[in-house]
Amino acid sequence: MTHDPMAEIRASFFVECEELLESLQDALSVMADHLEGDGSQDTETINVVFRAVHSIKGGAGAFGLTVLVAFAHRFETVMDELRCGRLVVDHEAMKLFFQAADMLADHVRLARDDASGSPPGSETLLIAVEALMGERAPELEEEEVAFAPMGLSFDLALPDLGDAADLAEADGRCWTVRLRPLDALYASGNETFHLLRALCELGSASITCDLSALPDLDALMPETSCLGWTVQLTGGIEESDIRAVFDFVEDVAEITIAEAQEVAAELGLAAPEPKPEAASAPAISPPCLSLVPDLIVPPLASAATASSALPIQPIALPSERPTDPAPDRLAAPAVAAAAAAPAEAAAATVRVDLDRIDRLVNLVGELVINQAMLAQSVTEAGLPANSAVMNGLEAFMMLTRDIQDSVMMIRAQPVKPLFQRMARIVREASAAVGKEVRLRSEGEGTEVDKTVIERLADPLTHMIRNAVDHGLETPDRRREAGKPEEGVVTLSAQHRSGRVVIEVADDGAGIDRPRVREIAIRKGLVAPDAVLTDAEIDNLLFLPGFSTANQISALSGRGVGMDVVKQAIGALGGRIAITSERGQGTRFSISLPLTLAVLDGMVVRVAGETLVIPLSSIVETATLSAHDIRSLGPETSVIHIRGGFVPLYDLGTELAYRGPKASYEGGIVLLTAQEDGSRAALVVDEILEQRQVVIKGLQHSYGNIPGVAAATILGDGQIALILDPGDLVENATGRTRSADTILALAG
Amino acid sequence: MTAPLSLAPRLDLPAASPLSEAIRARKGQALDLDAGNVAHLGGLCLQVLLAAAASWRAAGQPLRISPRSQAFEDAVAMFGLAPAQLESGQLDLGQLEPEGAA
Repeated sequence: MTHDPMAEIRASFFVECEELLESLQDALSVMADHLEGDGSQDTETINVVFRAVHSIKGGAGAFGLTVLVAFAHRFETVMDELRCGRLVVDHEAMKLFFQAADMLADHVRLARDDASGSPPGSETLLIAVEALMGERAPELEEEEVAFAPMGLSFDLALPDLGDAADLAEADGRCWTVRLRPLDALYASGNETFHLLRALCELGSASITCDLSALPDLDALMPETSCLGWTVQLTGGIEESDIRAVFDFVEDVAEITIAEAQEVAAELGLAAPEPKPEAASAPAISPPCLSLVPDLIVPPLASAATASSALPIQPIALPSERPTDPAPDRLAAPAVAAAAAAPAEAAAATVRVDLDRIDRLVNLVGELVINQAMLAQSVTEAGLPANSAVMNGLEAFMMLTRDIQDSVMMIRAQPVKPLFQRMARIVREASAAVGKEVRLRSEGEGTEVDKTVIERLADPLTHMIRNAVDHGLETPDRRREAGKPEEGVVTLSAQHRSGRVVIEVADDGAGIDRPRVREIAIRKGLVAPDAVLTDAEIDNLLFLPGFSTANQISALSGRGVGMDVVKQAIGALGGRIAITSERGQGTRFSISLPLTLAVLDGMVVRVAGETLVIPLSSIVETATLSAHDIRSLGPETSVIHIRGGFVPLYDLGTELAYRGPKASYEGGIVLLTAQEDGSRAALVVDEILEQRQVVIKGLQHSYGNIPGVAAATILGDGQIALILDPGDLVENATGRTRSADTILALAG
Repeated sequence: MTAPLSLAPRLDLPAASPLSEAIRARKGQALDLDAGNVAHLGGLCLQVLLAAAASWRAAGQPLRISPRSQAFEDAVAMFGLAPAQLESGQLDLGQLEPEGAA
């Protein structure tokens, strides 16, 4: 096997890009909210936007992705104007920024796929974005010089920009760089040593190590970063050169870069009376260059630096400190501050190959099966319930469950990136049909299995487009209806009783039921005289080939309709429901399992076969008495339960294991409920147990089997089918009685 | 009795915990560290060595690092420190409290 470290680094760059694009979208959304609010923009948000674009540029430069670098550079230039307050954000600008961010994402994608050229419209968009700067553009080019050769891109992006005059001017500059690595720096495979060495390579350097936060050996957590460094750099060094050293560790270290005379002035103030405020960074750099969050330097550290850093010594040993009572008194809060710092930092993360996680998930699945087998053998051995083995087994079961939950949690991811993609779909779709649409998203932090998220993208895209195209009225119509011209599409996610529910709602006109009915009749989907409830009419939308749009628009209405969405959701073990109110809007709810790996099921026996029914769909179980059962039609029955009538289905008959029983009196039924509120009673012969089962997909081998979701391996090694009650009921015959005629025909 | 402890060639993140444990296990006695094979010294292991030096110093026990590879010496210098700071000699780290156990 070939192992290409460059490919790995490149891959991780693109993963980082995804994160940066996400934070870019986030920050732009915050900016848009501010614009809606009082119109003021806070600099930190703008910095986030700038930093995201800048980091993508820097990384792209390192890999020679010139097209991406060029785009990011021009985008960044505009963002820089914004950052310096020379550009005012208005609605139009915001829209362009969003489009530019989308375009940047496209550029990243092209670069990742090694495709050449630019995405369509890239240049046009850039020109539009740059037009926001107005006549400032030429003047800007010069200012930008200090900034352009940044990151690792300086030899690729704009090689001709570093001009001699600048270098000469820079020659005498002296920089003070403060570096305090966070735990995540080491955890992400970076190393302070290399950073320091890279700094030393820039020019002449003297390095001071700040030991003030180093705890006692006993208290030292070996993987917690406690040291800080101050590096004095002299020579023809540009700030951008220094920043380039920290390009990939900006987020995992506290870094301040300041020109030395400013530091001297600052320390002059700070030294006599060291205060935390005086030691922090705001005064250091001009506002335009404050790339990093303000550094929190413990008071003692600043005092130490003040006493040792000027004049510069290669190795500064603050030997007078132990005898000086004042710093000693300060030592405790200093250490406390340093200890608190890592907690404030972003939670450390590790990137793991998805394959490895999947392997772990599979192994845990095997463990669960194995544990079930073990439990079975122990039971069969007939040991007393309170024996040590039984107790141990109980603990083992709980542990297995915990492990399983934890492993599943690794796979779970917030739906936020998915929602962000949908935000883009809304922007594009609304532009295509000329409607003003705002996407409101709720519950972005809701975590769902990664596979579910990935496979949800297509159906969700389709639903969002539908909502924009068909759901919402045109601005004129909205005005007539007394609604604001801007339509709202709400995308929400939440956990509800062990499942995740994702809803797409619009505040449009709602479903035009008479028209839906008319179309369905015209297309021969329902009989002209059929009596349909509102819910039944709504569900006609899910029929294959159904499309209500009179005209085929560029966006939707090609006949690839909601049936495809329904199928995709069904393949995920989910269900889709629709509610609509005339004039108020339409809401699609998708209910999905949290994971595709395990489920809590009820193990039942029907006609000698063992089956598993997902617990999430079972409302209750009941034993039938004769007067509960009522006949309906020649072959079907309903049961009377909790003041209502519920159709009765015999699982044995539906799955063709056997014909209907002569009598269901004393039979056991499972009452199931679907997302749309419909209920069904399933007859089983015996309830065996309630347990967690590992899902083994059948689709690869057998395709989609109606009524069957998957299979599982039980403790005794037996394979059991996991049923999908919703699907089953939909395709069910409902035969619970043998009509006499049929019996007669059968002889 | 002196317990010589040979340092791993790569003193990076995975080495930090074992190093710290190995050193803690030798508390209360003179400690000789062999840095002759060290090819890489990272920030985390540096912390451990610094804390160890302070601890030994406070306890009045000798802690020496010898032999020292060139890479080790270079790294210590790059971190802005003198090798003597990693030993229990005359230097003091300031804010560290003296150990309870003498």
